Amino acid sequence: MPINLKIPEAETREQRLGTITQWEGSAAQLARDSAFSYGCAKGCVTGGPEGGRRLCEQNSPFAQASMCAETIAVTNATIIQDSVVIQHSPIGCAASQSFTCRYYRDLAAQRGWALEDPQSLCSNLTERDMVFGGIAKLEQAIREAWDRHHPRVIFVATSCASGIIGDDVDGAAQRLEAEIGVPVVTLHCEGFKSKHWSSGWDVIEHGILRRLVKTERRNRRQDLVNVIHLGGPDVFTPLLAPLGLRVNLVMGGSSLDRLAAMSEAAATVTMCFVLSYLATGLEQEYGVPELKAPLPYGLAATDAWLRDIARATGREDRVETVIASERARIAPELARLRDRLSGKKGFVAAGAAFAHGLVADLRELGVTVDSAYSFHHDPSTDSGDPRQDSLTYLVETWGDIPHFTVSPDQHFQAHAALKRSKPDFVICRHSGTMAVLAARLGIPVLPIFYSNDGLGYEGLLTIGRAILRVLPRQRFYQDVASHSQFPYQPWWRDQTNPYALSADSSVA
Amino acid sequence: MTPLDSNLPAPDAGICNGSGPLEQVRYACSLGALTSVIAIPGAIPITHCGPGCASKQFHALSGINAYQGGEFHVPSTNIGNREVIFGGADRLDELIAATLRVMAADLFVVQSGCIPGLIGDDIESVVGKYRKRGIPIVHAETSGYRGNNFTGHEAIIRAIIDQFVGAYDGPQEPGLVNVWSVLPYQNPFWRGDLEEIQRILEGIGLTVNILFGPSCAGVAEWQAIPRAAFNLVLSPWLGLATARHLEQKYRQRFLHIPAIPIGAKLTSAFLRQVAEFADLDPGPVETFIAREEKRYYPFLRDFAAFYAGCTSQYQLPSHLVVISESAYALAITRFMVDQLGLEPRYQLVTENPPGEFRGAIRAQFRNLVEGGGAEVIFAEDGRQINRSIRQADFTGQLPIVFGSTWEGDLARHLGAPLVEIGYPATDEVVLSRSYVGYRGALALIERIYTTVVRKNTMA
Repeated sequence: MPINLKIPEAETREQRLGTITQWEGSAAQLARDSAFSYGCAKGCVTGGPEGGRRLCEQNSPFAQASMCAETIAVTNATIIQDSVVIQHSPIGCAASQSFTCRYYRDLAAQRGWALEDPQSLCSNLTERDMVFGGIAKLEQAIREAWDRHHPRVIFVATSCASGIIGDDVDGAAQRLEAEIGVPVVTLHCEGFKSKHWSSGWDVIEHGILRRLVKTERRNRRQDLVNVIHLGGPDVFTPLLAPLGLRVNLVMGGSSLDRLAAMSEAAATVTMCFVLSYLATGLEQEYGVPELKAPLPYGLAATDAWLRDIARATGREDRVETVIASERARIAPELARLRDRLSGKKGFVAAGAAFAHGLVADLRELGVTVDSAYSFHHDPSTDSGDPRQDSLTYLVETWGDIPHFTVSPDQHFQAHAALKRSKPDFVICRHSGTMAVLAARLGIPVLPIFYSNDGLGYEGLLTIGRAILRVLPRQRFYQDVASHSQFPYQPWWRDQTNPYALSADSSVA
Repeated sequence: MTPLDSNLPAPDAGICNGSGPLEQVRYACSLGALTSVIAIPGAIPITHCGPGCASKQFHALSGINAYQGGEFHVPSTNIGNREVIFGGADRLDELIAATLRVMAADLFVVQSGCIPGLIGDDIESVVGKYRKRGIPIVHAETSGYRGNNFTGHEAIIRAIIDQFVGAYDGPQEPGLVNVWSVLPYQNPFWRGDLEEIQRILEGIGLTVNILFGPSCAGVAEWQAIPRAAFNLVLSPWLGLATARHLEQKYRQRFLHIPAIPIGAKLTSAFLRQVAEFADLDPGPVETFIAREEKRYYPFLRDFAAFYAGCTSQYQLPSHLVVISESAYALAITRFMVDQLGLEPRYQLVTENPPGEFRGAIRAQFRNLVEGGGAEVIFAEDGRQINRSIRQADFTGQLPIVFGSTWEGDLARHLGAPLVEIGYPATDEVVLSRSYVGYRGALALIERIYTTVVRKNTMA
């Protein structure tokens, strides 16, 4: 189904991709069941022996605080340079400002931008606005944003409250855009509208595609590749520069010029298919091909990824040299890391394709992985192309993962999954729950704040070294673990099935 | 004392706008008071709100605010489309039942956020059903659009007292006091501060219900609230509503001391005032004070070597800029003026105190020390606060800024050291550090002057 840029709201992930947030089984089973979503593209017959049945999502009567799409959309709008983000919300939604500010400043330092605070306003809706509507306040906030900062773009993010009272945010944005003369881009990200926060990526990417990409077609820049990433340092230029390619690094902190230039690039690669809405949209609207090679986690996948880029940009003559020299460069250190990590068991917790990538990294490093924990699962991608089925690729390349838990960062389920796996260490996407949970259970943990850390050849070294740095902290974690416990009932404290409660209540 | 600069708006003019758009947010929403529940050992909040609300409030107030950590595995309905359309009460009912199966707590506090308020869920009928079964569970309405985490804090206290602690007509225990002071998590130093307040009150012979934090005995302490002889409100306004309610409900007297004491001089005076109110035997009180001062003053004496000797070498500050919630703004301004001899220059109170308390807060700043005071400005919008103070003239003076992370750019612009004392404090890691009482004062002096020296030597 094509992406619909005519309307200001992005369709949610569960509508477009059949995204689920709760599931338990083996990775192979999940990959098989997800195949249905690709229809004939994967050559499967519905209900046939090749597998493929509609994914059956679990549900749980118990749930713990999760995260919302608004946080993702707002964070990633805030780290766009020369922007002001307005949260049209009660004050609490803007509690994220201190975090997004810290994040922006970290990125600015890394990118060599001016070290300053990003600009964020909250329209500060109160009870009176709930009764009479908040549009006047939004208009005031937009004018304030313009008068104070003269940004090149203003984002307006909705909230649960503004959505329920039915404020016409798009109307206000249009009026004020005409008045002040810079784009006022609405981000429809009411937290209740999607069951998974990753829909927030689609919201910000939808806004970028609709309003910030240069629409007038100029010359295709044959040496420019869009790299859509979650955040962190540019680990791509060292890989692509030897091919004579320039990296247009977008998302995860971008300038408006980089976003505008996306439509002129020769191709787009995405560092996590959770973010591939933007790449698919660029292909659909501007004919910029979206490369579908597996994500560059592990040696073989990185080889294939580079070859795919070389093919799409006419650089096949140079790519084998780059691959050979990179492999040779990292070989001694990779061997050392494999030696040091051999016999260790790792546990991976991250979001969908990112989790699949980290599992590949660990296995390439010689680490055993029998359990993984994914914050959601996308049975399909916007392109509908099975080459982007990163879970199937993982299982086919590296074998099954017997315990594959899909859970939206639920502490109690992660607790059970860790009790079952008993890993030597945990590697997780930076998140509220997992890092401290592992620590409190006495398990060394490596949270990945900058998600590019595990990518490409160098990523194996980055991750391997980081794991070795955290392993000795087990002394600290075990001391803490032996002096504290979580307030679960005894039966849950010992539980090793993350979905035991669901099974139990369906019987009851 | 230095009067306010004319280039800064008069108090309440221009930059005091409690309901306009805000930059650089300095408090959380009402739901954010879930941190107050988490601060009670053995209590767990159950949140009925959108999927990101509870974690965002906690992450802001704890995760990135001095990296306080804390127990976060909060049950939540994570309201979705279905509940918005059909109502969320059934889902809440299901969640409470499941919570009781999975989690163990002495007290559950159901907190509702914006969505249930807007769609009109009847939460009391759900929660009341469990309460009637003898489950220790209460409900506090904490819709984000209704207030901030300060007012939410009082709503939670009220709910626990009325729905859990309940009626009491037994005797009061002489010497037992309930303390209502700094706001947990919002103030990064709350754990150490409450410990110190408890320590010095016990030192003069009181028994203390400190009610929050590691030194609180948990829910049993809350059940002992009605037995207290009096309530001590140790903050400019937070806790007053609670004390008035307790006065009505349990006929308890209360003592309101707006300024949390910092340093021996102010702390000893504070203890004498409490002792007199509580009708304590002065003998043990004076013994305790003497012991504390005997420990305190040798440190201060030795610090005098630095404070006098390094005045020029390290450009020791002379003018105070304090931008914080009222409790710390008042306490630290008073200490810096009275104990260290700095001049108050800008005192900004940022938590949007209810209008009824503002006159009193203004008066507290005006009577800061004997013979002098300062004007206070109520302001919430960070950008305007910082821009206003940037234009001030500090010729011949050396300013120091006490504030939050948001004051970083201002401090750099002024060439002033910045001591983070309030939310958000992203450049501090705080565990048990306290800035109040006898011991906290010494830690505060250490922090201030380490910052000052480093600003000079590492710039």
